[in-house]
Amino acid sequence: MTDATNSTFAVRRPLAGARTPSPVRAARRPAGRRYIGIILPLGLLIVWSLATWLAWVPAVFLPSPLATVKAFVAMVTRQSLHQDFLRSINIVSQAFVYGSVAAVVLGVAAGLSANVERFFGPTFDSIRHIPGVAWLPLIVLWLGLGAPAQILVIGKSVFFPVFLNTLQGIRNVEKSHIELAKVLTLTRSQLIRRVVIPSAVPSIMVSLRYAAGVAWALVVTAEGLSGQEGLGYLIFRAQNLLITDQLIVCMVIIGLVGFAIDRLMLLLQRFVLRWKQGFEG
Amino acid sequence: MTQRGTLEIRGVEKHYDVDGRPLKILDHIDIDVAAGEFVSIVGPSGCGKSTILRLVVGLDDDYAGSIRLDGEPIKGTSLDRGIVFQDHRLLPWLTLEQNIGLSLENSRLSAEEKRRTIAEHIALVGLRGFEKVYPYQLSGGMAQRAAIARGLVNRPEILLLDEPLGALDALTRLRLQEELLSIWRIEKTTMILVTHDVDEAIYLSDRVLVMTANPGRIVKEIVVDLPHQRDRGSPTFAAIKRDILREMGDYAVHVAAA
Repeated sequence: MTDATNSTFAVRRPLAGARTPSPVRAARRPAGRRYIGIILPLGLLIVWSLATWLAWVPAVFLPSPLATVKAFVAMVTRQSLHQDFLRSINIVSQAFVYGSVAAVVLGVAAGLSANVERFFGPTFDSIRHIPGVAWLPLIVLWLGLGAPAQILVIGKSVFFPVFLNTLQGIRNVEKSHIELAKVLTLTRSQLIRRVVIPSAVPSIMVSLRYAAGVAWALVVTAEGLSGQEGLGYLIFRAQNLLITDQLIVCMVIIGLVGFAIDRLMLLLQRFVLRWKQGFEG
Repeated sequence: MTQRGTLEIRGVEKHYDVDGRPLKILDHIDIDVAAGEFVSIVGPSGCGKSTILRLVVGLDDDYAGSIRLDGEPIKGTSLDRGIVFQDHRLLPWLTLEQNIGLSLENSRLSAEEKRRTIAEHIALVGLRGFEKVYPYQLSGGMAQRAAIARGLVNRPEILLLDEPLGALDALTRLRLQEELLSIWRIEKTTMILVTHDVDEAIYLSDRVLVMTANPGRIVKEIVVDLPHQRDRGSPTFAAIKRDILREMGDYAVHVAAA
């Protein structure tokens, strides 16, 4: 390397760590503390076991952990639970992709043009205050029970947070960066591609992570109210038939998948925003 | 005589509107800078010295008077006129290499030529090995060197330096002053440096223009006729410094008392 590595000009961090951000982050978090998050779930599991074992709660309301695992195995082997699971994942993925792509495209357009924002503003601000559940009956009347109606309702709930954050992100571009683009004689399209959109990416990423969680949570409502398949449908069916163990199996799966989605989005966020110092979401 | 990099500022005046009344920011500014010359503008904060650079670079065209580069009136921003700001203004999402390359986005060079001249300028400012690094990983001095490389990579006729070393610690500052000098010798670009550091101005420039505020005007021009490397402790250096500080008004009392 050059003389630039001399003390006065030394990089603040070792370059090896800088290029691959994960070792730096791992080093900041001692290995032992990483597992601190497991204590609470384990504690809850113990309380759950005690509650059923000592019969604090009737088994029909709260089956034991073991009974729940058995129900899980039965559901996989005899009721093809995996198909309902994949079905839910499929619905949510489609809704998430359609909703967020539309939101980013329209958000960028509205962020760049005050007229586009004025055009959509009143309509969007009214629609977004009508919850997805309230839309469902009408949409089901139009599209019938099943996937399209569910995708539309979930997609709507993905759209608004992402749209609003994209718009805000575009508007928050630094004035000094615009000035720089002017000095470098960038054209409007270069300015948008190289300066404006990248400055909106952090807030877009935050909203995508949030929206992914919302979408997954909504699948229960959407499938429960308008369908014959999927995890959401299974939950409502289990409630009606008082098969509590199956109900809990579905809840645990939904929770774990939601957790996995959130962590995946966090990893994606860290990768996309690797240029941002200390960005933890 | 017009050689590439000759700047001519004639009778430039600028007003801001403050509560509906015009406030004079610049009062009849005349500056001539010869091709390849290094000129500094010093003055107290608020005297409008950075405003002059904003006008010359083309970020602000609301002024009276004329600014010509090589005899041609300036119009908007142009790749002929580079600038280095006090904050490095590297885009955080681009690597050092990409940041410098942003200057060449609209240049007529081929991709191969772009790659080569970017590499040359990274080497020129001593940042070889840091091409793929993001700005947050650079120290203040390194980021400012990168900004200088970005200002120079398109080989502008004139490079405007708006307190580029103002935010750096004293040692880094001295070192970057050396580098600026050697870059200036290699590139032979006309340079205008705005600073409030009188030592820096004397150390680097052929000429120092002294400004005062309310309204901003040039009150004195001092030719620094010392050979490089200049000795900051020499009596001549000190005499020039005393002259400049006296012109800047507020300091006069302290200088006289000292």
